[in-house]
Amino acid sequence: MSTTVADLHEHHEDHGPAKGIGRWLFATNHKDIGTMYLIFSLTMFFIGGAMAMVIRSELAIPGLQFVHPEFFNSMTTMHALIMVFGAVMPAFVGLANWMIPLMIGAPDMALPRMNNWSFWILPVAFGILLSTLFMPGGAPAGGWTMYPPLILQTGDAFPFLIFSVHLMGISSIMGAINVIVTIINMRAPDMSLLKMPMFVWTWLITAYLLIAVMPVLAGAVTMLLTDQFFGTSFFLAAGGGDPVMFQHIFWFFGHPEVYIMILPAFGVVSEIIPTFSRKPLFGHDSMVYAASSIAFLSFIVWAHHMFTVGMPLTGQMFFMFATMLIAVPTGVKIFNWVATMWRGAMTFETPMLFSLAFVFLFTIGGFSGLMLAAAPADIQYHDTYFVVAHFHYVLVPGSVFAIMAGAYYWLPKWTGHMYNETLGKLHFWASTIFVNLTFFPMHFLGLAGMPRRIPDYSTQFADFNTVASIGAIGFGLSQLIFVWVILSAWKGSKATDRVWEGSHGLEWTVPSPAPYHTFETPPKARIANEAFD
Amino acid sequence: MNDAERKKGIRRTALIVTAIAIAFYVGFIMIGVLRS
Repeated sequence: MSTTVADLHEHHEDHGPAKGIGRWLFATNHKDIGTMYLIFSLTMFFIGGAMAMVIRSELAIPGLQFVHPEFFNSMTTMHALIMVFGAVMPAFVGLANWMIPLMIGAPDMALPRMNNWSFWILPVAFGILLSTLFMPGGAPAGGWTMYPPLILQTGDAFPFLIFSVHLMGISSIMGAINVIVTIINMRAPDMSLLKMPMFVWTWLITAYLLIAVMPVLAGAVTMLLTDQFFGTSFFLAAGGGDPVMFQHIFWFFGHPEVYIMILPAFGVVSEIIPTFSRKPLFGHDSMVYAASSIAFLSFIVWAHHMFTVGMPLTGQMFFMFATMLIAVPTGVKIFNWVATMWRGAMTFETPMLFSLAFVFLFTIGGFSGLMLAAAPADIQYHDTYFVVAHFHYVLVPGSVFAIMAGAYYWLPKWTGHMYNETLGKLHFWASTIFVNLTFFPMHFLGLAGMPRRIPDYSTQFADFNTVASIGAIGFGLSQLIFVWVILSAWKGSKATDRVWEGSHGLEWTVPSPAPYHTFETPPKARIANEAFD
Repeated sequence: MNDAERKKGIRRTALIVTAIAIAFYVGFIMIGVLRS
């Protein structure tokens, strides 16, 4: 089967990429743009990670050690903005760019020139954001949530923050439009929606979430801008505005944003677990319905971030129970992954190890989320390190581990070479040990009452903070192994077209490395169908 | 589906999702205007 499809590409080998920098500046090829997204994301991961090192170094022992409190606040704000919008989201867009056309048998993304714009807006946006570190008054320090009136006290950096957030939003919206249009219009003949791979499905749902909520964030920051510079009072109490309205609007974006960062991770893991269990995904259709339910519910739970702000009891009850309801479809997914592995002929290559850690550790993040959903308990946990522990469990061994898993899984298809499995496993074990060392003690710190976003703390919190800081520095250093694995991948043994014994899907029917142009002739229905059976 | 139909479909889907995005942007600013 793979030979048949590979044959289709042979006569296109003379249509290589453009030469020099122009190949990247004017890129319209989905593989080139995917590569640029992934490199950009890894760069931002290290910049955001360096900020995390500043934060954890300062918190390693009580007292003020290295940085001024104002700069510490800038670090927490910038770390969050960079990791959310610069590292995690672009990484998934990069995976989408590379893999969606290959998985659905399309020659490219539907709107390749817009794809180029989507990417190149990002370095500009983050260049602007990072430049604020050198401005009078420093970088934004009011938290990534940008709550007024605090954020309006930002110095010269404020309009640059707003402009960069707008640019990030435009980039994400254009990327989402491209994903939706590609999936709806460019699938292989006979590939019905329910036959699509789970990664494609989760990205389709994610793209709709992006279309609905990124403009809401843009609207919120536009109103902040006009409040600051054009005399409006959307959120200023002195002028008759309502600062709490900003929180409602922000979290209407913010909670679906959480699922924007986790649904594609579900998709990646849903591709990997069946491959290394050598079984089809258990309950494919139920996974689709579960992902859709999670996406729907994400729109009606936003105020659980605001229980301490004050709201009617009925409001608290509604948002509490709606939030808890998310555990049902999420539980369906966890059950299906475990059922896929049940009695499978499992092997534990690096992508599978990261996926297994994802299932286990993301579940811990999910459970602490359930604890936070309980309104009376949340009033105790709110703004403590318990919240920091919760969302880092969801985002680091959740989203980031899934990105790592996907990178290891598809790297042989991208480069044509197998990576070093020993180094991959070393990267996995170091990351898993240190990620738990970093974030697990934060649960205890939070339950003991340590507030978040502070550069100094009471001495009773010292021991767990030291452990977390050692873990964070270990986790940061472990990621250098990942860079080495990628750089050395080109020296590895030649990858086969199918790469993994248990892999299924159209992407494994093209040669490794994937040719510059693929599926210019849509794959035959029979081939497409066999790839899914 | 031939090329012309596919191009038409791409254009139609892109316009619909762009309209949704613009509606959310303008809609939420309108909520702000009405409530402030």
